[in-house]
Amino acid sequence: MEEFKVTIEQFDGPLDLMLHLIKEKELDLFDLDVSILTDQYIAYLNAMQDLHLEVASEYLVELAELIEYKSKKLLPRDPGEIDDNYEEDPKDRLVRRLLEYQQFKEVSSQLNQLFEERQLLMTKPQSEEAEQWIRSTDDMHYDGNPYELMRAMRKVLLRMQLARPIETKYTSREISMEDRQLQIRAKLDRLPKTFRFESLLDDCHDVPMFVATFLAVLDMARQHILAFTVDENDVIWFSKGTIRHD
Amino acid sequence: MTEKKDELEIKEEPEIYPLSSDTQVYAEQMEMPLETGHAKAILEGLLFIVGDEGLTVEQAMSVLEISRQRVEILFDDLMKEYAGDDNRGIEIANYGGTYRFLSKALVHEYAKKLFQMNKHATLSQAALETLAIIAYKQPITRVEIEEIRGVGADMMLRKLLARDLIKESGRSDAPGRPIIYEVTEEFMNTFKLLSLDELPELPQFGDMEDSDELFGRE
Repeated sequence: MEEFKVTIEQFDGPLDLMLHLIKEKELDLFDLDVSILTDQYIAYLNAMQDLHLEVASEYLVELAELIEYKSKKLLPRDPGEIDDNYEEDPKDRLVRRLLEYQQFKEVSSQLNQLFEERQLLMTKPQSEEAEQWIRSTDDMHYDGNPYELMRAMRKVLLRMQLARPIETKYTSREISMEDRQLQIRAKLDRLPKTFRFESLLDDCHDVPMFVATFLAVLDMARQHILAFTVDENDVIWFSKGTIRHD
Repeated sequence: MTEKKDELEIKEEPEIYPLSSDTQVYAEQMEMPLETGHAKAILEGLLFIVGDEGLTVEQAMSVLEISRQRVEILFDDLMKEYAGDDNRGIEIANYGGTYRFLSKALVHEYAKKLFQMNKHATLSQAALETLAIIAYKQPITRVEIEEIRGVGADMMLRKLLARDLIKESGRSDAPGRPIIYEVTEEFMNTFKLLSLDELPELPQFGDMEDSDELFGRE
């Protein structure tokens, strides 16, 4: 039973599992014996359950379709029904889906190849001097979505990693969001009216501190102490004071 | 009289229709203000400054105030100069229409050593498949993606949105007006693609073509 555990990890959904079973049992995809496939599929799901692995609902949806097909085959067909309300034959539909899925599965390994090649080519962030020119101080108005903020945060984190010294030692401190907020309020006096999120990170050397800072400024934005916006270069800008929300 | 006129026209022709791109560049350079005569050097400097944000042809055109053709020739020249010179450790790439300076692949191993880096960024099989489906079928709805992969795509789409690899591009006219998705310029940058035309060809299996015609989804 233990051997199943290894292979279960590899499957990326019910279609992936079916393709694997078809290959393993040497079934012909173009003349598919759905009965054998269904039996194998059920055996597999049972094995997963024996291992107390949760069977994702997607697997059960496909199982229901397989069983429906198998049961329909046992019933006599009503010829009149076909002309009236044409439906794609479930077996053809399954085969078409398997073939289509197989295409994308194959091509994704080629994409992965390109991805890995690209990982070898590295780039640098925009010059800091130039970034400071980008934004005029007024007109802080944010109407983007949370994904833009997430994306901008990813960039900030990435930049922080780039700026990290090659070798360093530090002890991590834990700080609450509230305490961090007090620290930030003290910093605000020294900062211009509009500033980049990075300006608050000069004393952040680890992720918890970083997260505390991020939560603190979000909370301060909620309290209208700060307002933020994300520009087209995914830079997070803050400005002091309340901002109109129209 | 007529013969003489012909002769005159022939004489002028080389100037009106320059033969090679070099001549073209030269001709344009002559007409340009002195300070932009160093257009290639300026372009190279700008590429350095913009870093990973990159520079598009349109940006270069408006900043240098020169023609699209000239910008493309200059970018092309720069790319060739860096790529062709084995003594250079950086190169210029154009992915998705944005030009960027990149360190060459051979540097990577040593950069890893320098930064004592052993982690490798990866994309999961599920992420790759979802991206492949969107790239080849875009614009596409979540339900259509789920139909192909046979698994829910909600979380994956959110992750890919946050990584800027896909974007929402409006809504479909289908019932419920579902959101439709497309890949982004960052997707092109991540997979070394100039445009979607450069995607690897989808493999064909057996009589896939036939079954597509018979049971096509459109």
